[in-house]
Amino acid sequence: MRRDHMKSVLPRGPITLLGNLSETRYWVYLLLFPSLILLLLVVAYPTLYGFVISVREMRLTRPGLNGWVGMKHYVAMMSDRVFWISLKNTAIWVTAAIAIEVTLGFVAAVALNRNLPGTKLFGVLILLPYFLPNVVAGHMWALLLDPRLGVINDLLVRIGILSTYKAWFADPATALAATILVEAWHGFPFFALLFLAGLKGIPEDLYKAAAVDGAGPVRQFRLITVPMLKTVIAAAVILRVISLVNSPDLLLVLTGGGPGNATQVLSLYAFQTAYREFNFGYAGALSVVMFILLMLFATIYIRLTHVTKE
Amino acid sequence: MLKTSRSRRLAGDILTYVVLTALTTFCLGPILWMFLTSLKTEADIVTSHMQYIPRTITFQNYVAIWTQSNFPVLIANSLVVTTITVVICVLTGTLAAYAFARLPFKGRDKIMLGYLLVRMFPAVMVIIPLYVMMRTVGLVDSRFGLALAYTSFLLPLFAWMLKGFFDAAPKELESAARIDGSTRLGAMVRIVLPLARNGLVASSVFIAIAAWNEFIFALMLTTGQGSRTWPVGLQLMVGEFQLPWGVLAAGGILSILPVVVLFAIVQRAMVQGLTAGAIKG
Repeated sequence: MRRDHMKSVLPRGPITLLGNLSETRYWVYLLLFPSLILLLLVVAYPTLYGFVISVREMRLTRPGLNGWVGMKHYVAMMSDRVFWISLKNTAIWVTAAIAIEVTLGFVAAVALNRNLPGTKLFGVLILLPYFLPNVVAGHMWALLLDPRLGVINDLLVRIGILSTYKAWFADPATALAATILVEAWHGFPFFALLFLAGLKGIPEDLYKAAAVDGAGPVRQFRLITVPMLKTVIAAAVILRVISLVNSPDLLLVLTGGGPGNATQVLSLYAFQTAYREFNFGYAGALSVVMFILLMLFATIYIRLTHVTKE
Repeated sequence: MLKTSRSRRLAGDILTYVVLTALTTFCLGPILWMFLTSLKTEADIVTSHMQYIPRTITFQNYVAIWTQSNFPVLIANSLVVTTITVVICVLTGTLAAYAFARLPFKGRDKIMLGYLLVRMFPAVMVIIPLYVMMRTVGLVDSRFGLALAYTSFLLPLFAWMLKGFFDAAPKELESAARIDGSTRLGAMVRIVLPLARNGLVASSVFIAIAAWNEFIFALMLTTGQGSRTWPVGLQLMVGEFQLPWGVLAAGGILSILPVVVLFAIVQRAMVQGLTAGAIKG
């Protein structure tokens, strides 16, 4: 009734037409169409094109060099010393950063979950680093760890841990560890956030029942908290691994891969090959290898942890 | 017995506060130090003896970054790019999120998984072909082109986050409107969108922050003044002019200011959306 009424009042403009269209079975495709087209254009097509570039010669500085080269870049990679160093560094960087971030995130989540007065405010403050840009985070830490003016050097000397100021990012022995510290600062709030959400989902009754049965805090933790959080931990770790492997930002700002190749990782190596040398073919091959390794890791990891089985 | 359990509880509470204070210091200390540095004179920064509290507070560094560099232009470019990104994501992503949340259709799970998998693609792997593509259509060094590139990873994120908020909005009101003769479009615009308003704002702010902060795409896809965003500009300034620490710190503070403000306003809804999306995903 009302529909008829509206129809007679409103002119058959584009809105009414859309309204009528929304009643047909085409509606859902119409809703999906814009985002799908966009993603095909800016993700799917470039990705396929990326595979193509990796088997071609493409250097913007030398337009004459062009054409198919097959597996040449992949073969060259096998004897590229920097590639292997980057691979090793990526593994160390990601593993160490995740280990620290999971630990700190877990400690933070358990503390925040006690719901004492003021924990809400602490929760907001602890989350802040995660939302700060890598460029600012990088320079901020470069200032803190500066070999001449760094406040952390000053504090460590005052406490007596260091005898003189140290050039953390310039020394190959400490450069990677220093960048891991910065990454941990930036990334652990992400784990704190997810773990806290997971902890809040554990029913209070479970702990009460365990306490009645005589289980102490340690056993409660081992038998309730850890198993209940397994899915969240597994999911958070895989998301973080993906974003750590993929983003060269922080290392680009902090060290640029140096000194030597002490902090060179795959994503940064690929980016620099494209950005500095304009060697798109080789950079493309590097990123394809990175993508395949990540896929392999994700598949094995999901098998092992059963993240998707909820 | 009671006494020991009470004292144990008290010890636990104290430990909790100690841990939280330590973590908060770790999180905020560096930011605070950058803020202090931005207020110091050059003489207080470059000293042989560390000057913790500035002897004189100066806003000279802020004046310097704002008037003696192209920082205002960079900020304006970032604002434009961020706005375009958010507009594109809201227009297209809201529709997709609504379809995911409310309309059952064949292949829905597959498409949703596809939206999620997009996040696995290495940025570098997409950047290189995107650069070549955009160069052919003349979108390199364009703010619109950069925003388009940002949608490659922000649109799926937005759709997933917003879907969570749509899922949480009660279906009954929508059904009632449909019974009253409203079309699906009418119900979506007049009932569901207002219900998920907070979620819409939170998801938009989340991708706005991500677009504002983004560095790698911007570095590759912008080459000149016309479209360069602040992260790229600031990074290049450090390389080119040996930017003094005070000025760099002032630039850092200015550029994270919008992030901190937005985060403070919508943090609760944003946290809710983020955890919901991530745990389901």
